[in-house]
Amino acid sequence: MTPSQSTESIPTDVLALDVHDLSRTFGVRKALDKVSFELAQHQFLSIFGPNGAGKTTLLRVLATLTPPSAGSDVKVLGYDVVKDAFALREHIGLISHNPLLYPDLTADENLQFFAQLYGIPSSKERIDELLDAVELTHRKLDIVRTFSRGMTQRLSLARTLLSSPELIFLDEPYSGLDPHASDILDSLIEGIRDKHTFVMVSHDLEHGLEMCSHALILARGKVVLFEERASLDTEAFRSTYRDTVGLGVS
Amino acid sequence: MASAKRQISSFEQFKAILRKDIVMELRTKEMLTSMGLYAVLVLIIYYVALSQAGQGFDVSRIAGGLLLLAIVFTSMLGLNRSLVHEQDQGCLEALLLSPVDRPVIFFGKAVGNLIFLILVQIFVVPLFYFIFLSGSGAQSGPWWMLALALLVGSIGIAGIGTFLATMSVNTTGKDFILAIMFIPLIFPLLLVIVAALTAVITADPGYVQTYWTMLGIALGYDAIMIAVAFALYEFILGA
Repeated sequence: MTPSQSTESIPTDVLALDVHDLSRTFGVRKALDKVSFELAQHQFLSIFGPNGAGKTTLLRVLATLTPPSAGSDVKVLGYDVVKDAFALREHIGLISHNPLLYPDLTADENLQFFAQLYGIPSSKERIDELLDAVELTHRKLDIVRTFSRGMTQRLSLARTLLSSPELIFLDEPYSGLDPHASDILDSLIEGIRDKHTFVMVSHDLEHGLEMCSHALILARGKVVLFEERASLDTEAFRSTYRDTVGLGVS
Repeated sequence: MASAKRQISSFEQFKAILRKDIVMELRTKEMLTSMGLYAVLVLIIYYVALSQAGQGFDVSRIAGGLLLLAIVFTSMLGLNRSLVHEQDQGCLEALLLSPVDRPVIFFGKAVGNLIFLILVQIFVVPLFYFIFLSGSGAQSGPWWMLALALLVGSIGIAGIGTFLATMSVNTTGKDFILAIMFIPLIFPLLLVIVAALTAVITADPGYVQTYWTMLGIALGYDAIMIAVAFALYEFILGA
């Protein structure tokens, strides 16, 4: 994978995620209830939990797509997710189970469009470099609608890396990928993980644990467990996860 | 803390959003085809409805209203589709995740919708004139006055419509919700644009003064509604 394009980077002593008392309610339902945790830069956080536990809401709040409820104190890369949302967006990227690409544009047109939104200098060279890295140079001028799911996810990774984000959110990025496509995406992420912070929402316990430096379990909008992977008792973790799945939605 | 090398310009972002919508539409022709066909169907229904009106019926008296209604119905079809495109495969999220001021997204989408609406009118208005007015003997005012009134009406329709289409895009029954919010909000605009169009088409004595008065009110309404949409766009996208 190509190195990140040089941008004025975030000081390394700034926490990637500094979350205190994060709550978010939808009507009377508490999707997130006083969630607190901290994560240093260049770490890989895997977030687990049953359906409806609040994982996607947490990711959306951190990615500035959903505002938190009043009283929450959430900083991402030192930026407040509400007050500094605009500035923060320059430093974050998202790879989702949705490709976040325009199906009726070519791979090149999609990347050109996002390069213009992010004001990327020398975007042509950067796009060629990224398409080469995700092995899609030969499909550069093809419409994305004609791509396989695996190719679309690789292009999605290229779109995300275009702006050289310090922090990359992964919202079930392996969903719908065949094992071969998953392996390719794995190796692409592995190649860049030292230079970025990753926050991944996953239902795949084995895979999520394999990739992460920190693990977090959410249930009913609350943090049940947040621990460094190195100090984690895998069996105890599995047991806790099984117990939380039984808790169901918040 | 922002990147030193990046040159983020709102105007460049606006152009990128507009260019992307135009490229996609020229490639798929989804909006233009469906809007054009729908407009023709509305004209056919008008023709059938007026076929028994008799020789003495002066169609020019209602032509302004009929023409604007055809445009409003057609625009609702296109407005919904323009935002549905953004929702396809999560593109709206990618747009919201990028460092773009929300009003830039609003203007990019609204100007795109305005261009498509004008393109449909370039086809529909001459057809309407040919079917309903060419044989009526009506002494119309200059064509540019008709075009200007339609442009002012279209600016309001595209601006208010883009705002409401964004509000309704994540709701179930978005077509219905857009319609019930859109018609009441553009009602004052419809009234004055119909008055301006009728003034030009009938060219009654003193029609120029009526025309400019109505157009002035329409322009004021456009300005107020677009300013409100501009101010609230960030809120409705974040809600």
